[in-house]
Amino acid sequence: MPIYRFKVPTDSVPFEQREQIAVDVTDIHCGSTLAPRHFVHVMFDEQPEGSSEFPTPFYLDAYNRAGRPQEVKDKLLEDFINAFVRHTGVPREQISGRIGEGPASWAMEGGQVLPEPGQETAGWYAEVTAD
Amino acid sequence: MIAFNCTIQEGVIPEEQREIINQRLVQIGAAILGVPPDDISVDYEVIPHGFGFRGGELSTSSSVRSVIPDGFTQEKRVEFMTAVQDMWIEVTGQTTAELVVGAADASFRPHRD
Repeated sequence: MPIYRFKVPTDSVPFEQREQIAVDVTDIHCGSTLAPRHFVHVMFDEQPEGSSEFPTPFYLDAYNRAGRPQEVKDKLLEDFINAFVRHTGVPREQISGRIGEGPASWAMEGGQVLPEPGQETAGWYAEVTAD
Repeated sequence: MIAFNCTIQEGVIPEEQREIINQRLVQIGAAILGVPPDDISVDYEVIPHGFGFRGGELSTSSSVRSVIPDGFTQEKRVEFMTAVQDMWIEVTGQTTAELVVGAADASFRPHRD
């Protein structure tokens, strides 16, 4: 975790743009949370145009550990969307998103149960970045 | 009821490994959480090559998310997730760095809207 999934119309975002967006999302997330870079997962789900269940044609559906202040989550979401708009040229009004969240202790990554945000220890960081 | 959802990258986990994983996940759910095998489902989502990234680079990572019955202790949840992780690594040869395992309560909803 985190997991960032961009829902996009089929063939609307070429590989080079997906790669740039993935790098930016990783940079933004790690700059805000100090998470290990390899914990940041970014995916793109193509859907036939007009079939989206979401309120805009492009949508960011994210999932993260619970416990961060709302203003931090709002800033992250806006920064992710701005990065998407910058790389794709998609008008801002055509993309929206949400960040869902769940208890950190309900997930394992890097062989360890995830710590709560802000509770990451040097030992945990060393363990999960050892590979 | 346990519902496993495995997200894998295209070309990383062959079909024959998936069949083994299916059987082993059912065994783990039954043995550790006591859920009848008929009440355990396993689904896969394959991310096409070039559509999944980890750390800003093309991903080889997998995730095994599960929805489990409410009421288990954290100790039991960790035992369950650890068993899933250990099985996955044994069967696929992936490392712990390439795997996310989750176990959420059935009543849990990640979004407030």
